[in-house]
Amino acid sequence: MSLSASQNRAGLALIAPASVLALLFLIAPLSSIFVLAFTDYQLGDRSLSFVGLKNFEALADDPTFWKSLTNTLIYSAVVVPGSMLLGLVSALLIDAGTSLRSFYRTAFFLPVMASLLAMAVVWEFMLHPSFGIVNATMKALGFAPHNWLKDGGIALYVLAVIGIWQSFGFNMVLFMAGLSAIPRDLYDAAEMDGTPNAWARFKLITWPLLAPVTVFVAVTSVIRSFQVFDTVHALTQGGPNKATEVLLYTIYAEGFEFFRSGHAAAITIVFIMLVVGVSLLRFVSLKKNGASA
Amino acid sequence: MRMILTAAALSLTASMALAQTTITVQYPYPELFDETQKQLAEAFSRKHPDIKVEFRTPYKEYEDAAQRVLREGITGNVPDVTFQGLNRVRVLADKEIAVSLDDFIANEKDFDAEGYHDGMRQAGAVNGKVYGLPFAISLPIVYYNMDLVKKAGLDENSLPKSWDEIIELAKKINAQGEADGVMAEWSITGNWLWQAMVFANGGTMLTADETKVAFDGDAGKQAIATLARLATEAKSPNMTANDMLAAFSAGKIGVMVTTTSRVNAVTKQVGDKFELKTGVYPDIKDGVTRLPAGGNVAIITAKTEEKQKAAWEFLKFATGPEGGAIMVRTTGYMAPNTKAADLLKDFYTQNPNQAVALSELPYLTGWYAFPGDNGLKITDVIKDHMQSIMDGTRAKEAEAVLAEMAADTQALLPRR
Repeated sequence: MSLSASQNRAGLALIAPASVLALLFLIAPLSSIFVLAFTDYQLGDRSLSFVGLKNFEALADDPTFWKSLTNTLIYSAVVVPGSMLLGLVSALLIDAGTSLRSFYRTAFFLPVMASLLAMAVVWEFMLHPSFGIVNATMKALGFAPHNWLKDGGIALYVLAVIGIWQSFGFNMVLFMAGLSAIPRDLYDAAEMDGTPNAWARFKLITWPLLAPVTVFVAVTSVIRSFQVFDTVHALTQGGPNKATEVLLYTIYAEGFEFFRSGHAAAITIVFIMLVVGVSLLRFVSLKKNGASA
Repeated sequence: MRMILTAAALSLTASMALAQTTITVQYPYPELFDETQKQLAEAFSRKHPDIKVEFRTPYKEYEDAAQRVLREGITGNVPDVTFQGLNRVRVLADKEIAVSLDDFIANEKDFDAEGYHDGMRQAGAVNGKVYGLPFAISLPIVYYNMDLVKKAGLDENSLPKSWDEIIELAKKINAQGEADGVMAEWSITGNWLWQAMVFANGGTMLTADETKVAFDGDAGKQAIATLARLATEAKSPNMTANDMLAAFSAGKIGVMVTTTSRVNAVTKQVGDKFELKTGVYPDIKDGVTRLPAGGNVAIITAKTEEKQKAAWEFLKFATGPEGGAIMVRTTGYMAPNTKAADLLKDFYTQNPNQAVALSELPYLTGWYAFPGDNGLKITDVIKDHMQSIMDGTRAKEAEAVLAEMAADTQALLPRR
């Protein structure tokens, strides 16, 4: 079926606002970042010259960048499984219980809605090395206190725990939505067929039927964990000695603190490639699911 | 007769032209400076009814301030006067956004006598040219928890005058087991305290021609050794700045070395918990010691001659005795202008902790900004090396750290 000229025009007119917005706010900034990455531009310069791959070569030799990339991956490797598992478990518990459901739902979702920057201040006090409640508890229980945010060996993991705390509520809500979509009669049928216990029911029904939700949660969690910035900016500024330096913070520091816009643009490109890569994974997995369904 | 008329007409048109001069001003940290700038503009308009001051929405902080004016420099939309972090003068001069003040200063009579002394001019100078006049400045001082100090057997008359004495005092406070002895806010802005320690020993960051690192000389070696002793001998805790302030205010640190600009906040937080006293920065030696000014500086960015002239009047007023007095009363920063203190006698008798740093004013010098495209990145490199000393990991090999710090800095300097 071919469209008439007027239908064509109407169609074009209808997509015009969205395309203009996308062009203005997505494509144009992205392409200017792409161009900047190949120049020696610094904020405030009135001219720029192309330097080819020099910024990327500098990145390859820059220990800060590699540290930042590794830290981002480590952070993600801790936060994604942690927040997914906690999200799933709390969703299952809330779903199974009957009382206070909306209270638990709200309580667990609160960290997602709260401003992470404000919450970071609260964490800062709790983690204070000499009178924070965390160290006080550790001492009371007979463990050695730690300098949580200034010990290069653990600071990143402390931030990861805060990241899990902050994001599992979001995953929980997604999982709960997924759970509510599973037909009750499947469980009834399983019970009649003599499924021995809750774990077997979970393995047999819940987990497989949650799979699409799980993939979605995994992908969004990965992308969100790559975007960690607030806690780093508020609590550690990438320190001590780059122990908590993550990609977004490096981009910020290079671009807005050191004014090395070319460098910042080059790291941004690496970052975008990472995020696009993960999104592609999701796209592929959705396609596979769609084909099998 | 005709001549008189012409003259009258001329002066009339001149005053009319002047009456129309409006300058736009932008400053950072609205929570600190809103009231200050408001009072400043009011007092200024009483003195100069021909110039109208308009404010733009303030910058959030120094980073935001520098970014915005750099971006506006490209679009040509800069304000006429901008207040910027003192170590950002260089980048604004390099990008030709800041207007050189040398001609204005040359036209002033008795500029020195009005309190705009040489150190004050140096604070806003780059390569020997003045681009800004410091407005609200801070210098490094020492904060004492007198309750802990007295338990250690000292009183306000025997407060430490040298790093040696600070370290001795810290050991005694440590020994009491109630609190940590001393902490210096070495991480503030990346390298401000490092500069203070090197400048205090008579050193410089780079050689005079700015081609080679000079902080690895004797002054620097002494400074890094002091830092290492703070970590090893005085067992200085390894905390973030916020944690340090909270700990000091809670009585968990005896001695704290940091900027004067914290006096107000610390005084409020300490309240009646213990007696707070401030003391001068240690080891000040006449003729040798210089101390870098932190804080902010007023810069002219106006394009036309008329606006530049009006902006200069505002700059002179804001950084002069009267403007300085308004600023000190409303913020807790220090006024670099030596005449401002004369207007503040009552204020300083009531706030002796604020007055301490006045004796450091004669040693005022610029907060050094490293040259070239990597200038601000160097700050970060220095901070990381200092971290490795202050957290104790490399405190035993301080000179090796200094050598590496010098080499890493050298690699980021522009090659000529």
